[in-house]
Parts: sequence; structure tokens; C-alpha cells
Amino acid sequence: MRELLRRETRGRLLLRGVILVAPVLALLAARPADLPHGWFVVGTVVLSIGFAALPESALGTLCLAVVVLWWVLAASDGVPPTAIPAALLLLAAHLSAVLLSYGPATLPVGAALLGRWMGRAAGVGVAAPLVWLVAVVVDDQPEPPGIWISGLACAVIVCIVAATAVSTGEERA
Amino acid sequence: MTSRWRPTPALARAVLVSGICVVAAVVGASPAAMVIGAPFILLSCFGLLHRPDSQPAVDAELDQRWLHEGQGTTSRLLLRDGADVEHVTRAMARTPYVALHPPAGVTGGLVDELPTIEIGPRRWGRRVLGEELVCLTTPWAGYRWGPALLHGDSVRVLPQTRRFETRSETPRPVGLVGANRSPRLGAGVEFADIRPFRPGDRLRRISWRVSVRSRELHVTTSPAEEDSGVLLVVDTLADHGHSGGLDGDASSLDQSVRAAAAVAEHHIRAGDRVGLRIVGGDGGLLGYGAGTRHLRALLDLLSGVRAGELPEGIAHRIQLRVSGGSVVFVFSPMLGTAIVTATASLVQRGLPVVVVDTLPPGASPPVPDGVDPRVAGLAWRMRRLERDQVLGALGTLGCPVIAWRGAGTLDDVLRRLARRASVPRALKGWEAGAR
Repeated sequence: MRELLRRETRGRLLLRGVILVAPVLALLAARPADLPHGWFVVGTVVLSIGFAALPESALGTLCLAVVVLWWVLAASDGVPPTAIPAALLLLAAHLSAVLLSYGPATLPVGAALLGRWMGRAAGVGVAAPLVWLVAVVVDDQPEPPGIWISGLACAVIVCIVAATAVSTGEERA
Repeated sequence: MTSRWRPTPALARAVLVSGICVVAAVVGASPAAMVIGAPFILLSCFGLLHRPDSQPAVDAELDQRWLHEGQGTTSRLLLRDGADVEHVTRAMARTPYVALHPPAGVTGGLVDELPTIEIGPRRWGRRVLGEELVCLTTPWAGYRWGPALLHGDSVRVLPQTRRFETRSETPRPVGLVGANRSPRLGAGVEFADIRPFRPGDRLRRISWRVSVRSRELHVTTSPAEEDSGVLLVVDTLADHGHSGGLDGDASSLDQSVRAAAAVAEHHIRAGDRVGLRIVGGDGGLLGYGAGTRHLRALLDLLSGVRAGELPEGIAHRIQLRVSGGSVVFVFSPMLGTAIVTATASLVQRGLPVVVVDTLPPGASPPVPDGVDPRVAGLAWRMRRLERDQVLGALGTLGCPVIAWRGAGTLDDVLRRLARRASVPRALKGWEAGAR
């Protein structure tokens, strides 16, 4: 482990630090009343450590999923503005893992690649405040009948299409 | 090397988190989950939209395959059908005596400017570079190709030769034309003497000033300019000491090969004919020759030597095939009986022989398992004492023994040998009869 840390460049260590801290901060970004229990925070920290050490492992998905689930439980009755920084923090953790996954521990993160992903992060990150705005606008509106059923159907279709695309990619190759 | 595209763990993570967010938002009626999931949905979509359908092929190519120690070359990646590729990562395994840049051998970059790896061999010889792994990634890191394995290329590393320069003449030139001053008079340009005119002398040689003063025709004479035969004998019976490459310690074989290469280059540039004999290992023999192409062949043979004992049958009767009038340079640590015997027999034939001692000062043999290091140390000290006696005996026979120290190493020795060659000497009976 010490040898691994010694070989890591400063940039990569910084990215691992982002992965370590961002999910926990996203968890703590919930409103004070919704702050998670201590054991939940500890669990998230453990998962974050695993995510930072092994950015390509399933621990990353688990870590992000835990934070999302907490937000679903804690903020089911409204659209808190703190969801935006939480979304951006999770995005930062995910993209840090993406940058680390381009090569082995001794590969420094290139400036061109970093710049390209910063631009992409800014682009996709805008989606969070936009969705939050839409959610705030439509929050007081009466729900059209069957909206949640339609939404669920859409979600299922999106998941099936995505899963098919991923598996097709594997089979085609 | 064939490989295939696979979805990256990053794409799988983005898709899963998107799915969880969407389902959680709908089932749990939580818009916050949708806010958190929106960027991931976009990342998933962009990743999936760049699903590749190309079949890339990669190969690595070196700019140069023949290098001198200390020189460098670049390994470039050749990418075919790379339309779907955004990023390329290369990881080359490290090889002894080959410096890489980046030092870890790992580099990456966008496909517009394919990453290169700089390679600098630090020791002569045939070097096979380490295997390389190449990985390609699509835009938005959705799919990954590889890592594909590329086998290491081989590089021929010639010994460094730049350090040697001498201003001394070769002791005994006997060739036709060259740059060395011959003991015989001939059609040279340097002044040797003025003597009375004899029939057959060229008119342009008449010294009119002396002729007018002495009232008798006189001509100027000059020594002929001839090339010389130089034989390099390299002892590869064993490699003593540790080789740290060009910047580190030099083993006996390192010193022998580098010194022989430097002397060969110097004499070939001076117009002499140079031959090479490798004693030990796989052996090797290159006849006398001159010119750049011959130098290339000579350095090539030198770069391929390896340490090894001679077969039992020929260890005691080495034939160096030295022609008369050649100058012989023996590059050896003088620890093998065969090379010592061969050198002594050349000296006794009256040939000008110079021994370049290439044993590193602190060299000591590796101690085999199960042997007391003190006993091994004692044996080594005794062996060195024997060696000192052998070198002293060679010196008594008239064979100079010098340690290699780069430029100027041979100046004094060659000057003394040249002086000795010009001094009249008594011939043995059969030698005089032959003349």
C-alpha cells in the first residue's frame, strides 16, 4: 500500500481524495433534520475508502447508491436546494474514478484529458440545477392522473434499453 | 494482436446509478433523486451513444533499431481503424539496461497525438524491449478496447566510441597507402632528409636552394605514408565486476568492448585496416578491413559478444591469425590461461602487442552457495596475485600492459612502440635468412 501511494502522482492522489470525501459530503449535505445516523455515515466512509482504492470496482456503484437511497428516504417530501451540491459531489466522485481508470497507478492524468472532462462535467452538471428548477416549479402543481405509473414505465424502458445496449456491446465485440 | 471492445465499469456505474435514481424518484416520489440522477443519466446516454463498431489494430514501431550506448529513440504507436478512439494508454515493461521516458514506461494521451515512449539503452548488446500493453477508450469513457499485448522490439546497441582519441602513430605501418609515417622513404609530404640527386629521382624533388649553394643537385626526401594493420583481440572468457550501464560501474566486458570499439573507430578513421578476434563465448572473427562499412560490421560483432568459456578442445590452442607487421591490442582482464598464452606467443613472435587491462579495480567473483565467503575471498586474492605475476612477466617480455582510461590511454605506449620499431635490432638466424 505504501509502495502504491509512493508511485502515485499528486494529481491521482488528489482524485482519490475527491472520491473519498465527495460521497460523504453528499450524504451530509442533507438538511440538518435529515442528517443520517452515525452508523450510516461510517458505512458510507468505508465504501468511499473502497471506492477510492479500487475505482473500477462495484464498491463505487454501491457507495453512490447508498447516498442516493439516503436522499430518497430523507427528502421524499420536497426538493431541497442541497440536492444540487449533493448531485455535483457525486458527479465529481464518479468522474474522478473515470479519470483514474484510464491507466495504471503510474499513469499521470494528462492536462488535455483533464480539461476535456472538466468541460464535460460542467455540461452534464448543469442538468442538476435545471431538474431542480423544474421540480420546484411543478412541485405545487396538482399531479396529473397516472403520472407516476407513466414515469415508472419510462424508467423501466430506459433501464431495459441501457442494459440491452451494454450487453449488445459485449456480444458484438 | 486482436482484442475487443467492452463497456467500462464507469459506464456500468453511471447506468446503474441512473437507473436507481429514476426508479427511486418514481417509486419513492422523490424529486431529489431525480436531481441527483440527472447528470448520471446524461453521462450514460453519451457513453452509450458512442458505442464503437470499429475493429482497431495497434502496433509499435521504433524510429531506429541501431543505436549507440547513450543514444535514444522513440517507440511510436501505429493505430489503424481508430475512428471510435478518444484516448490511448500504453504501458511498457521495464528492461534491464534500457531507460524509458516516462520512467515507469506508462503513458497516455488523446488520439490526436498518440503517446510515444522514449527509449535509451544504457549498455551495448542486443536488447529486447519489454512487452507492452495498449488500451483504447471511446469518448465519454463508455467502452474500452484491450489491453492488447504487443511483444517487445529488439534493438542493436553498439558500444560508445566517442571518448577515445590519440595523436600517436601506429608503430609499424606496412600497407600500401595511409596516414601513418613509414620507416621507408617514399612519396610522402613530410620532410625527411636532403641527399644528392640520383638517377630516377623526380625533378620536382630537387631542392634548388641547396643545389645552388652546394653546386651539386640535391633532392629532398620524405617518408612514405602507409596504412597499418591493427588487430583487436577481445577476451570474453568471463565478465568480471558489475555492469551498471553507461552511467554506472563498468564490468570487464564493458571495458573491453567499449575500449575495442573506440580503438577500432580511431584507427579506421585514420585509414588503417582493423581486424577483430573474439576469444570466448560464441567467438567471432572479422578480417582486416577499412572504411565505414567495415567499422559498422566490427561494432556489430562487438555488440553481440557474450561471456563464456571456450570449448575444452581449443582452449589451449587459440589461433589468432595475426599477419606480420600488425599491431595487436589485447583487451582482457588477463585471468584466463588461454588468452595469456596466446598473448605471450604473439610477443615472442616480435609483434607489437599492447595489453589493455580491463579488470575493474573492485571486481570480485560471486560467491557460490555453500562456499565460505572468506575462503572465496582468499582464493580471489591469490588469483589476483597470480595475475599480477603474469602481467609483470608480459611486461618483461616487452609487452606494455595498461589500464583503460579513455582518451590518451594509448598515446605513450604507441609512441614508445613506434620508437622501438625504428631502432635497429639484431635478427635471429632464421629471420635474417628469410630476408
